[in-house]
Amino acid sequence: MVDFTLWDIVRNLLLAARWTVALSLIAFVGGGLVGLLLLVARVGRWPGAAGLVAGYVQLFQGTPLLMQLFLAYFGLPLLGVQISPWTAAALALTLYASAFLTEIWRGCVEAIPKGQWEAAQSLALSFGEQMRHVIGPQALRIAVAPTVGFLVQVVKGTALASVIGFIELTKAGTMIANATFAPFTVYACVALMYFLLCFPISAWSRRLERRLSLGR
Amino acid sequence: MAADPSSVGASPARDAAQPVVTIQGLRKRFGEMEVLRGIDLQVQAGEVVALIGRSGSGKSTLLRCINGLETPQEGDLRVEGRRLEPDNPQAMRALRQRVGMIFQSFNLFPHLTVGRNVLLAPGLVKGLRGAAADDRARQLLARVGLADKFDARPDQLSGGQQQRVAIARALAMDPAVLLCDEITSALDPELVGEVLKVVEALAEEGMTLLMVTHEMQFARRVADRVLFMHAGRIHEQGPPQQLFEQPRTPELQQFLSALG
Repeated sequence: MVDFTLWDIVRNLLLAARWTVALSLIAFVGGGLVGLLLLVARVGRWPGAAGLVAGYVQLFQGTPLLMQLFLAYFGLPLLGVQISPWTAAALALTLYASAFLTEIWRGCVEAIPKGQWEAAQSLALSFGEQMRHVIGPQALRIAVAPTVGFLVQVVKGTALASVIGFIELTKAGTMIANATFAPFTVYACVALMYFLLCFPISAWSRRLERRLSLGR
Repeated sequence: MAADPSSVGASPARDAAQPVVTIQGLRKRFGEMEVLRGIDLQVQAGEVVALIGRSGSGKSTLLRCINGLETPQEGDLRVEGRRLEPDNPQAMRALRQRVGMIFQSFNLFPHLTVGRNVLLAPGLVKGLRGAAADDRARQLLARVGLADKFDARPDQLSGGQQQRVAIARALAMDPAVLLCDEITSALDPELVGEVLKVVEALAEEGMTLLMVTHEMQFARRVADRVLFMHAGRIHEQGPPQQLFEQPRTPELQQFLSALG
């Protein structure tokens, strides 16, 4: 029987953790962009946007992320689209993140007093200018904490991508545990790595929040 | 950001004969409630008009229709001959550059310094930037007695100071008419005077003013014309002397006597 040192375990987990980071980044950036577009459509009162976006948000908030991953991975091939676990995971997580982010940000925009919109409108600012120079910066300030908080959810959510065979941190952990017969050690290392990914983000969010509230 | 060419520099057709604001048959409903029931009004350049009346009589709504914050269902509203077209962003941008508004709750942008509050709209809408724009903002702040507050943040100012910054901000767009919506109602009594003094100075300099106010002494002293609004209509109007001393309608008599 082959002996595995702790370093063997950690090294292999670290390699797999790169995919967790990559998937988180894609989900977050992609979800952020789509979420922003949906936000502008909704706040800018594009015809029909309010209902459609609300439905979209409900759909993704009302179903488990696991099902969304399954549907992307097993559903798209039924439509004739061949999809790798990697693409399916990236797609499902992006849509999932966009639904949550657009809802978080809408709340932040709505928290800005109506008088700010009215003052900006009275000064002849266009909708884009109102958003960019008046509403956006104020909403951003209150959006930091919940947004970064959600980033932590996304990082942990990528673990679910292991069930469709995408080899990231959790999946690698399972495989290594099966090979080493040391599940506790392996999963402890996996948990520690998630913590090391998420803790700095939370700490950064707290610092950012403090700095932004001091800056006002 | 390209400035609208029609509104930079001299405004079109600003001859003495043309009223700054012309309103005909204006009606506004909120759901079932008809708040404005046919308003006809002309405001001449340099005129100071005070709107008085009970809350719910439609005076604020009328004011807010003039710069398109509310959309009337019926009627014709023009500022310097330019029609209010709520669905046309270009037209709204042109119209709003000529209409300044000051709010009860000041509505300064809390994330910007006082100077940036004044500079923002001229920079974005008219392309006025750089040292000349800065100088002008400082002049406007000096005019409202806040020359030294250029770099202050709005939350470092008293309510009265904030409202004066709001006035400077509105003036920075060089409006043809200034709408004042109960601009002293949110202020502590000892701060009301400093804001009214600024407004009075503007009136003396020939600014066209339309103001909803509960300061009857002020309306009486400064206004050229007072409109009493009741149930969505201009119920009675005239020079302040006449309106306050010889009210003709029972509604106005009752309103004035209730003020004590």
